[in-house]
Amino acid sequence: MKRALAWLLWLWMAAVIAGAFLYAPLAKGFIGQSSRILFFHVPMAWVSFVAFIAAGIWSARFLFLGRRPEHDRAAAAAVELGLLFGVLATVTGALWARVMWGAYWNWDPRQTSIVVALLFYGAYLALRSSLEDRDQRARLSAAYAVLGLAVAPFLFFVMPRIMFSLHPQSVINAQGKVEMESRMVQVLLAGSAGATALFFWIHNLQCRLTALSDRKSALEE
Amino acid sequence: MWRDASTWAAEALAVFAKEWRCEFRTRYALNTLALFAFTTLVVVSVSLGPIGVSLSQGTAVLPVLLWVILLFSAAAGLPRAFVQEEETQTAIALRLAATPSALFCGKLLYCLTLTAALELLVTPVYLAMTNLNVKSPGLLVAVLAAGGYGLAAGSTLVAAIIAQARSKGTLFSVLAFPVLLPLILIAVELTRGAVAGDPGGVALPQLLLYDAVVTIAGLMLFPAVWNP
Repeated sequence: MKRALAWLLWLWMAAVIAGAFLYAPLAKGFIGQSSRILFFHVPMAWVSFVAFIAAGIWSARFLFLGRRPEHDRAAAAAVELGLLFGVLATVTGALWARVMWGAYWNWDPRQTSIVVALLFYGAYLALRSSLEDRDQRARLSAAYAVLGLAVAPFLFFVMPRIMFSLHPQSVINAQGKVEMESRMVQVLLAGSAGATALFFWIHNLQCRLTALSDRKSALEE
Repeated sequence: MWRDASTWAAEALAVFAKEWRCEFRTRYALNTLALFAFTTLVVVSVSLGPIGVSLSQGTAVLPVLLWVILLFSAAAGLPRAFVQEEETQTAIALRLAATPSALFCGKLLYCLTLTAALELLVTPVYLAMTNLNVKSPGLLVAVLAAGGYGLAAGSTLVAAIIAQARSKGTLFSVLAFPVLLPLILIAVELTRGAVAGDPGGVALPQLLLYDAVVTIAGLMLFPAVWNP
């Protein structure tokens, strides 16, 4: 059953990649083929956002709902994956910015907020690696993750007000209207759903792996 | 109810008084903060040259440098509040003696007074050295007060987290900066407004909201950070 699901995910992602190049049309007003990176960039940015929220929720559950080690492992795995997807989103975004805006980096609000998110992920992992005792590590890193979640809204709401953004509108813009060709929307949504499933699949594997290695080190002690 | 509140306040004040008594024995944090801030001030001022920068450039650049000086000075001095408890191994006694929330407030008050002292020292000298003319001083004072509070509150909680880890010094900057970055960005924006003489708009309420969020998060998270 699980193997079948993994194969289905593989087929799904393969179809998304094929759809991004063969099925979806090019967006108007974009240089060359550059709009196709959308189908990879947006799902990655979305997953790194989901990972951030998920890590915060798992950490809050660990702290306030009965200190269960599996919640700590889940939060740590989410941060590791969030960092990976965040870096991929940043790199794909910078490549696109080079084509469209003429520079890899210009501190657009979106670029600023993802860099702060990456800094936060990195700091979380640095904190974990500098704590040896398992309970202490779980407790302190969970507190830090919840603090990050509490402060994060300021980045998302304050940035766009202070700075002017060139970043294209989200799929659904301020008027609540979808301004994209329907085939593009289909591929984008399929890609985001696939990337989210991919995230939770790898996350599940990672949690099981760390649970085993935790058990191994507990047996050795 | 009232008696609980008054013993709680007494505890917080006792922690605050203890912090300053310990501080005056060594004057470590005060000396480090003052010297670090003054050194950075001199570096900035000398590098900008004898006549400083032009007016339009000054409005853009000088508020940033002011907050960078404040942020790094705070990072040099504030972690002491908890690191010193672990180093002298007094943390266990303190865990037995005080309720976590009162302890957090006492420490926060101590960090707040240190930050206020830092701002009182740095800001006038900075304005004088860089020939920066502030059009609305009232707004500047408000920003320094609200921004300083956020800086102290965020630093207090992060200091409590890193005090129990290895490599405390570098870890504080690494952990504190992503958390304090929104605060610094809003504060820089508002300081620019104060220099140019335009009112902050929604930025000041946003800064106060940040302060409130960090205080609440601190009060909620501190017991978990402090008690094993």
